[in-house]
Amino acid sequence: MDLCELRKKLDGGDIGAVELTKEYLDRIKRFDGEINSYITVCEAEAIAQAEAAQQVIDKGGSKPMTGIPLSVKDNICTNGVRTTCASRMLEDHIPIYDASAVSRLKNENFVMLGKTNMDEFAMGGSSQTSYFGGPKNPYNTGYVTGGSSGGAAASVAAGLCAAALGSDTGGSVRQPSAFCGVTGLKPTYGTVSRWGLIAFASSLDQIGVCALSAADAGYVLNSICGRDCNDATTSPIPSGGYTSAVGSDISGIRIGVPKEFLDGSTDEVKAAVLEAAEYYRSLGCTVKECSLPSLEYAVSAYYLISSAEAASNLSRFDGIKYGHRSGLGEDYNELIKSSRSEGFGREVKRRIMLGNYALCSGYYDAYYNNARRIRTQIRKEYADIFSECDVILTPTAPSPAYRIGVQENDPVKMYQADICTVTVNIAGLPAISTTCGYSAEGMPIGMSLIGRAFDEKTIIAVCDRFERDHERRECVL
Amino acid sequence: MVDEKLTAHLAELSKLEFTDEELADMTKDMTDIIGLMDKVCGFESGAEPYTLEAADYKALREDKYEASYPSEDILRNADKVKNDSFVVPKVV
Repeated sequence: MDLCELRKKLDGGDIGAVELTKEYLDRIKRFDGEINSYITVCEAEAIAQAEAAQQVIDKGGSKPMTGIPLSVKDNICTNGVRTTCASRMLEDHIPIYDASAVSRLKNENFVMLGKTNMDEFAMGGSSQTSYFGGPKNPYNTGYVTGGSSGGAAASVAAGLCAAALGSDTGGSVRQPSAFCGVTGLKPTYGTVSRWGLIAFASSLDQIGVCALSAADAGYVLNSICGRDCNDATTSPIPSGGYTSAVGSDISGIRIGVPKEFLDGSTDEVKAAVLEAAEYYRSLGCTVKECSLPSLEYAVSAYYLISSAEAASNLSRFDGIKYGHRSGLGEDYNELIKSSRSEGFGREVKRRIMLGNYALCSGYYDAYYNNARRIRTQIRKEYADIFSECDVILTPTAPSPAYRIGVQENDPVKMYQADICTVTVNIAGLPAISTTCGYSAEGMPIGMSLIGRAFDEKTIIAVCDRFERDHERRECVL
Repeated sequence: MVDEKLTAHLAELSKLEFTDEELADMTKDMTDIIGLMDKVCGFESGAEPYTLEAADYKALREDKYEASYPSEDILRNADKVKNDSFVVPKVV
């Protein structure tokens, strides 16, 4: 059932908000022991929120998200509800304010079922770096969910929420959505406030949505987008109306397929994406090959920029004001070092170390500044493509989900696997991932549609058209 | 080439500490990772380093007094608190 239909049923009294919430909580109890998509389940709070939502519905005052049960990634601050970033560092951290995205949903009386699992501090592509143990893919629990919003995507795929808030710094909403066979929307940088999103890389971070369809993702985005005086990087461009083109005729849309993205993908992924391109051609879209020549530099540039920003952002964790405080350390400096060394996991330490390397005098120009030059170049190359195309079609990841334990301990392999997603964050563009096929092993294959800045409406409509003609396989739990 | 001396220097900048075994492991990881990062050193173009476009400063909050969070709330997440203050090891 899509969110529009759910809204109608809630408003029409066909289903009650409390009954709906209890159904999801019951499924979480039954299935999440195995999937591990939630770090914290908010049973009592969710039921109280559902009761409040029902009162609003009964008075005829419902808004789009009233009574809709969502999960929220555990790096998005929630007042009074533990927010851990899947790290020992924040294992017991209880924020004293809500992220703006959460405030906006609360203003519509949504229901928060709980906080979802993720890679520690959103650093990873498998969610296996979580201090709480990684989530498992609902399609096959021997496989990773992808990351870093692996819990968010798995919670949607397994039917443990109606939709989920995630965050995307280099593909962290789109890639796990692809791995778990759901739809993942990364909005244009500046569309959703980052206030209350625990910062990883501030020039790249953006809150996004995992959902069962493009229309659902746009539906949720309508309620969380917009200007926020607490985040000066939110855009003054009027937002909303993201589902207004859903169902419209998309013939005549010009779709570019950059050849470099296909070159590094597995044969199964390449075939599925090219088949999707043929589908669009059959609808009257123009499909043509295009090029993003600087893609070969993208992963390195992304990791240098994001790690440099992470090294700075994570310097706030000293164990004194909040977060894990070590029992060791005789003096101030030693206490901070002990707290950080005990509190952060290995991947987070690697990123902080890499960031400080990139920012060191002697390396700064060759690494950090060159990465920034590449960022300028990639933005220009995207602008060139969009002078002739309306949408860009790529794989979401070079391969489908892999078995747990296969490559998580090889950082270079893990980083290289981000090749299909990082340029979107580098250029600040919107993109949406949906399932375009299944591997021989039965795992979902994802394709991404990238749009012009602030043109989410078009990619949602183009994605929705594909989803209407290609039914996704349900997970068997 | 990353050696243990450089790794130890980065650890100091990062306010992290490693055992000898961890330092050796991290040195290997950093060697592999920086090998991947070396790719950017070969990039040549006239492109200027990207800077995030200036925010719309008209949207900044009005510069006026507003009540802050209660200090008891702010202190709640600290491990050691005394007299409404964070406790740190003796500095002087």
